[in-house]
Formats: sequence, structure tokens, C-alpha cells
Amino acid sequence: MTTNMSRHLLLVEDNEVNREMLQRRLQRVGYTLDCAADGQEALDKMRDVKPALVLLDINLPVKDGWTVAKEARSDSDIQDIPIIALTAHAMESDRQQALASGCRDYATKPIDFPELVIKIENLLTA
Amino acid sequence: MKLSQTSLSLRARLYLFSMAILTLFVVNVATHLWGSFARSESLVAYRDAAVAAQLVNDLQQGLESARQQTLVLATLRETTDEPLGDAERETATAELDTLRQRLGKLGALGGESTEDYYRRLFDSGSQLLDEWQAFYNNYNRLSSQSSVESPIQYNDTWQKLNELEQRQEALAIERSRTIDGTITLTDQITVIGFITTIAVTMLLVILLIRSTNSSLLRLKTGVQRFGSGDLSYRIDENRDAGEIQDLARTFNDMSGKLSTAIEEVNSSKADADAANAAKSMFLANVSHELRTPLNAIIGYSEMLQDELGDPGEVNREQVQHDLGTIIISGRQLLGLINEILDLSKIETGKMQINLESFQPAAHILQVCDALSPLLSQHKNTLELNLVGAEGHTMHSDPGKLQQIVTNLFSNACKFTDNGTIVVAAEISQDQLTLTVTDDGIGMTAEQQGRVFDTFVQAGATTGTKYGGTGLGLSIVKDFCAMLGGEISLTSTPDAGSCFTVTLPTIGPASNPEAA
Repeated sequence: MTTNMSRHLLLVEDNEVNREMLQRRLQRVGYTLDCAADGQEALDKMRDVKPALVLLDINLPVKDGWTVAKEARSDSDIQDIPIIALTAHAMESDRQQALASGCRDYATKPIDFPELVIKIENLLTA
Repeated sequence: MKLSQTSLSLRARLYLFSMAILTLFVVNVATHLWGSFARSESLVAYRDAAVAAQLVNDLQQGLESARQQTLVLATLRETTDEPLGDAERETATAELDTLRQRLGKLGALGGESTEDYYRRLFDSGSQLLDEWQAFYNNYNRLSSQSSVESPIQYNDTWQKLNELEQRQEALAIERSRTIDGTITLTDQITVIGFITTIAVTMLLVILLIRSTNSSLLRLKTGVQRFGSGDLSYRIDENRDAGEIQDLARTFNDMSGKLSTAIEEVNSSKADADAANAAKSMFLANVSHELRTPLNAIIGYSEMLQDELGDPGEVNREQVQHDLGTIIISGRQLLGLINEILDLSKIETGKMQINLESFQPAAHILQVCDALSPLLSQHKNTLELNLVGAEGHTMHSDPGKLQQIVTNLFSNACKFTDNGTIVVAAEISQDQLTLTVTDDGIGMTAEQQGRVFDTFVQAGATTGTKYGGTGLGLSIVKDFCAMLGGEISLTSTPDAGSCFTVTLPTIGPASNPEAA
């Protein structure tokens, strides 16, 4: 597989509909993706695949997004992988919690797709 | 003095105080009167003694003068033998009468103690005066000296007079001694009584002030303690009697009512705060729940728009599937909005009951079929046991029964992974018993206690972790109540939950106000 790892993302989302939708849209604009449906799977795949960036839903089974972000920050193998939190919680406190737990950026559902792409590009080229 | 410890009413204290002062006052006045009486008595005694002394003196002078006269006349008679004129005799007789009167007056002054002396004086004096009278009467006829009065009777009378005088003098001295003693005594009593009255009055005033003060202080302390927030503080009612006890009791009554009212206000404030917090939580959850289907609707629509703009063949099957997803998400959104509206209707009492006859088993089966996609999400299996209800008809609201089953079933699916969900129903004794059992995460006793409350989910993070608005079970509980039944719950953490709904097969006749 000739994957360009600098454009390889990990999408963590438990809602199947939303996962498929986002996967297709990101693939369409040129990213390659791995997907995970719960928090533990997300951490495992981050360690295995070493994606360039993680899109992390917060409401996850097994381990929620905050826990995943914190564990990732304390693991030297994967602590540099930037994480963008995706959540349907739209309160200011949620944004602050996302940044506090180590996420580099934050996007609210429903996702503004062009804006999400800009955020991804900002982090990938930084 | 036990006045400060005994329970006396303020009125009783004042009465007692006044009575004590009055009694002392009466005693003082009485001793004063006694003293005054003794003084006037002594005055009368001195006056009597002075009058008596004067009379005795007059009588002595009179007797002496009359004696001198008779002696002169007797001498004259012997030497000149000159007869006595009528005028001279009358003058002498008048003088003797005056003496007689004086003698009588002296008798009016004497008491029993001088009576004997007086009687002797009177007898002797009367005899003397009679002799003198006879001397004057017979003067002209007399010729011999022997008929002239002898000094024997005069001396006797004189002696008796002196005896009476001495007796009177002794009596006056004795009497004045007694009276002086009485005056001294009453003076002492008056002084002692006066001092005692002042002392006792001051003592009573101090005790009255102290006892009243301590009563008032207890009241003041009570008001202060209560006023500064010690709502359980009560005044000791048994320390006082009468008005102050009444006041203490009234205050305690008021304190009781006030603290109850304050507790009620505090508890309703806490309730209101909790309700407010629950509503804020609810709004956040509703926002979250609305955003999840909206994300799919907007995302898929934008994606389709983008893809349809791409060159090349359109994958019709793919488009159809995507549109289906949009529709499902839209319906999810609608369901959520309906749930919120249902709750609003229940809360405002506008939820209608539509009674009709139906077969509950069929409706339950229909719901389970419709919701079977939920089972696969968490890899659960369904066990249906409707045998006990099959063939039975009930007269109730089938829509609400379906809603109850839907909510319980979807909850069971949501909180169970790789488990079994059992839906069972049976009808006996005009009652439908519906149980929905899962072997999911279960709930603690504390969570079970509030899981039916509006806007509340079992755990604070349940909404974040599992979604939902905290409305489902609240609506189920309200529906059960509206249909004349109830819902109960048994649950063990990490072992699963069992919800049991009992509904009468004949629903409520009228449409009651929702709880």
C-alpha cells in the first residue's frame, strides 16, 4: 500500500452514519483514513498506524475522548500526533476541556467541512 | 428567698410586692396611731392631775379661810356677844356651799383607785361643813364656847385631804411612768418598723427587678439566638409563669412556625435550584441530541451536492442509500422533538388519552420488530415472551403503551452490550404486566431513586456517554400514571435492570390531569 503517511488520518467515531459520511468526504478531498469506533481501539490504532492527525469524537464507548487524549499525551510514542476533538457538545466549557486534555483543536457538530479541512491543514503543515 | 426560682407570673409578683408594701405600711400607721394615742392619754392624765391638784389646793385654801372665819367669829362671840347679821350668815353659807361644790368636783375627777380616799374625805368634809353650817345657824342662840366647833373634825378632814392628794400624786406618777414606757416602745417600734419597711421594700424591689429582668433576659436571648439564625433555639417555658410564660410559649410557637416556613423556603429553593440545574443539563443534552442527527443530515446533503458535481457516472445506489440516511436522521430528529413536546404536554396537563380496544401482544410485537435494528448496534439479542398476553384484549391507549415499550426497549438496548433483552407480557386479573429485562450496566440504589425524574439521567455523565435527554423514563412513568398503572424497577450495578409496568386492562374512564 503506497500510502502517503503525511496525509493519513485516524477517524474515531462511534456513530456509524457519521463515521462513514466523514470518511467519504475526507477521502474525496485527498486524505487516507483509518477508522476506530471506541476509545481503546483509537489508542491501539494510534500506536500501530502512527497517523499524521487524529479526528477524535468525544462521546465514545469503553473510553471517552478526554481519556483517550490524556493517555495519548502521556505516551511518548504518540504524544506528538495532533488531535482535533469532534463533539456535539457546543458549550464553551467543552472547548476549554478539549484544549486542556491535550487536543490541538476543536470542531462542533454539525461539522462545517471546509473549516474542518482548514484546521487539518493548519496542523499538518505546522 | 426563693422568689427568683419559683414560677410566679409578673402580675402575681406585682400583687405580692404591693401586698407586702401595704402590710408594712399598715403596721407602721398602726404603731404610729398607738404612739399618738399614748401621747394624748398622757396629756389627759397630766391635765387631770393638774386640775385635781388645783381643786385640792382651792379646797385647802377654802377650808383654811372658813376655819379662820369660824375661829374669829367664835372669839368674837366669846368677847362681845354680838349677834351675827343675816347678810353675814348668808355670805358664810354661800362660802360653805362653794366648798361643798368643790368637794363634789373633786369626786368627779377620781377613778376607782382613789374612791376610798375620796369617800373618806367626803364623809369627813361633809361632816365638817355640816358642823360649820350648824355653827352659823346656831350662832345667835349659842351662848357657850363649847358649842363652837372643835378642831378635831377640821384636822381629820385636812388629813383626809392630804391623803387623797398624796394618793393622786402617786397615781399620776405611776400612770405617767406607764405612759412614758408606751411612748418609748411605740417610738422604737415606729423607728424599727420604718427601717424594716425601707429594707424590705428595697429587697422586694431588687428581687422584683432581678426576677423580671432574668425573665426578660431569657426572652431577649431567645429572640437574639433565633434572630441570628439558630432556628432550633426555644425559650425554656417552665422557668416562668403567667404572662411571661405565655409570651415565651407564643414566641416558641412563632419560632416553630417560622423555622418550618424557612425550612420550606430553603427546601423549595433547593428544589428550584436542582430543577434549574436539571433544565440547564437538559438543554445541553437536547442540544447534543439535536446536533447528532443534524450532523448526518447536513453532512450527507453537502457530500451528495459535492459528489453530484464531480465528473463521471452517478452511483444511483449510493445516492439512494445516502438519501435514506438523511431521511432516517431527519426522522430521529422528529422523534426527539416529539419527545420534548410530549413532555411539555404532560407538564402542562394537555396530554390526551385516546382509549380504544386493542390486543396488547400485537402492539408490543410491532414495536419490537420496528426497533430490532437497535439490537445490532450493541450486539444484543431479543427474547420475546408474550404468551400470557396473546388473545387478550384491553381497553386503553395503545399509542401510549407503544411509547412505553419503545422507551424501555431502546433504553435496554442502549445500556447493554453483547447481552440479552427480555420483553415479557401477560394479562391476569384485569391487569397487564409488562417486564423489560436486560443484563447491561445496571444502576446503583441512588441512581434508581432519581432515574424517573424529569430531565435526570442515572449518572451525570450518562448523557455524554450514552446520549439521550433524560426524558424517556420520565415520560414512561407519567404515561403509566395516566393509564391508571405504575412502573417499578429492580437493578444491580453491572448485572442489569428490570423494569415492570402494570396497567389495568380497562383504562381510566375520563381524561385525568397529567401528574
